[in-house]
Amino acid sequence: MSVQMIQPKPAPKLRLKGISKEFIAPRTGQRTLAVADFNLDVQPGEFICIVGPSGCGKSTVLNMIAGLEKSTSGSIEMDGKAISAPGAERGVMFQDYALFPWKSVRDNVGFGLRHGTAGAGMAKAEREDRINHFVQLVGLKGAESKYPHQLSGGMRQRVALARLLANGPDVLLMDEPLGALDAQTRLVLQVELLRIWGETGNKDDRKTVIFITHGIDEAVFLADRVVVMSSHPGRVSAVLDVDIPRPRTEEVRLDPRFAELSEEIWSLIRDEAYRAIA
Amino acid sequence: MSMNVNTRPADVMPPWAKAITLPIILVVIWQAWAMTLPETSPAPAPLKVVQSFVELTASGELVWATLQSLGRVLAGFAIALAAGLSLGVLMGSSRMVRENLDPIVESFRPIAPMAILPIAILWFGTGTPAALTIVAYAAFFPLLINTIHGVSRVDRQLIRAAQTMGISRLRIVIAVVVPAAIPSVLLGSRLAMGVAWTAIIAAELAVGAKSGGGTSGGVGQMMFVFYAYSIDLNGIVVCMIVVGVIALLIDRLFRLVERHLLPWRN
Ligand SMILES: Nc1ncnc2c1ncn2[C@@H]1O[C@H](COP(=O)(O)OP(=O)(O)OP(=O)(O)O)[C@@H](O)[C@H]1O
Ligand SMILES: [Mg+2]
Repeated sequence: MSVQMIQPKPAPKLRLKGISKEFIAPRTGQRTLAVADFNLDVQPGEFICIVGPSGCGKSTVLNMIAGLEKSTSGSIEMDGKAISAPGAERGVMFQDYALFPWKSVRDNVGFGLRHGTAGAGMAKAEREDRINHFVQLVGLKGAESKYPHQLSGGMRQRVALARLLANGPDVLLMDEPLGALDAQTRLVLQVELLRIWGETGNKDDRKTVIFITHGIDEAVFLADRVVVMSSHPGRVSAVLDVDIPRPRTEEVRLDPRFAELSEEIWSLIRDEAYRAIA
Repeated sequence: MSMNVNTRPADVMPPWAKAITLPIILVVIWQAWAMTLPETSPAPAPLKVVQSFVELTASGELVWATLQSLGRVLAGFAIALAAGLSLGVLMGSSRMVRENLDPIVESFRPIAPMAILPIAILWFGTGTPAALTIVAYAAFFPLLINTIHGVSRVDRQLIRAAQTMGISRLRIVIAVVVPAAIPSVLLGSRLAMGVAWTAIIAAELAVGAKSGGGTSGGVGQMMFVFYAYSIDLNGIVVCMIVVGVIALLIDRLFRLVERHLLPWRN
């Protein structure tokens, strides 16, 4: 009897195969090829960061995974099943936050628990505890009863983050989730995010994360793999393994490997970044 | 020099004082003009209006007629609100429904409420049901149009956010679309209330003409009687003022509701 020596690669959590997306303006009929031939397999529990120049199609890719936007061609699968519509198992944190203006901070954070599938069958007390926990986590204690228009940009972003986490989705789709924060808060929340993701715990308990960012150091600090995109049309130009051991602490930023990887990513997008403003 | 805006003299006056200053000046001028006319002149004058108001109130006539009209306005408005809101949400959220119903709505909208009075009278006679029909018809359109506007202009991103939380379509309408449309609905309500008063007075005037001061009552009919039978212009002015004040109070009430319902707006 032969012993199977080769470990079968686990089935990917997400499989993006030859995705393209063309926008057609309703009146003028003008076509924009936003994404072309995008391929990516994401393993369960993997933390993926996507970096790339502005307008390269990062949000478009995220929206297609969320099921909010149909791809023009190619297929997107989750756990082997084609994605055709949005679902609570794929939580999204939007680039523009999408907070409900008529709801307080508390009620925004608890919106999915109250109206969606995440809170189905949850007792009121448990829901309240959960809301409190995440409000506290993002440092919004004391601002619970404020409305979005009374908050700063950074505070709004933290409400959106708390709302996503409170819903507890299986896959977290985050569009520049820390972009509006001051540098210190961002560093604190990066560490916090890794903790929530389950960096120190069992690998099987980790959530799958797709995290869009403009911060190269942020991507290297957080990701298992960094997807670098180029634009016009948006495609994958490189995928880098971040072979820095976990759990990662602040010292990682001083690691020579950290600087090396950052430099490598920067060199991949530098030309395009300079061309964009030339 | 102080740049503090709060010390400007105009701001020392409370808002209510500012609101009544001009009316008082106008009334004084009006009274002064009326005093130059002969005693027998039918022209209305402030003091005669006050006298007429006291008499009409004492006899209970004015209170009864006002309650009658107010009741019709509120009932007609309620009918219009129920119909305008439900149809507005349907038309605003479903393109199919909107495209099918829009031509019908738009072809009825320019037809003045008074133009459907003959039909209403033929169907319901000259009493309250006919008056209600006119009021509800008039109030329906501002409510419908503003509800459609509010519902169809809801930020799409909010609906998308709700979809990614696994919220059902019906629940999204209730928890996202309707709250987002409330400012428009309130605007529509204020406009509707205004046209409801216009419609009830017109309807009562017309029905009054038909029944010759019969059973239908209301402020509009009272005005008709003053006009056609007693040629009492002071009485007509009393009616106008009463309607104006009540409409103003209702509008203030709406603003209060607005502040209560929309604490998230500044
Ligand atoms: N609804 C749309 N209709 C037409 N074109 C669109 C639409 N959404 C995005 N695009 C185009 O697709 C391209 C990619 O947009 P996308 O928002 O995905 O970029 P991005 O990488 O997220 O940029 P940023 O970093 O600035 O957020 C852009 O050229 C944009 O103009
Ligand atoms: Mg984007």
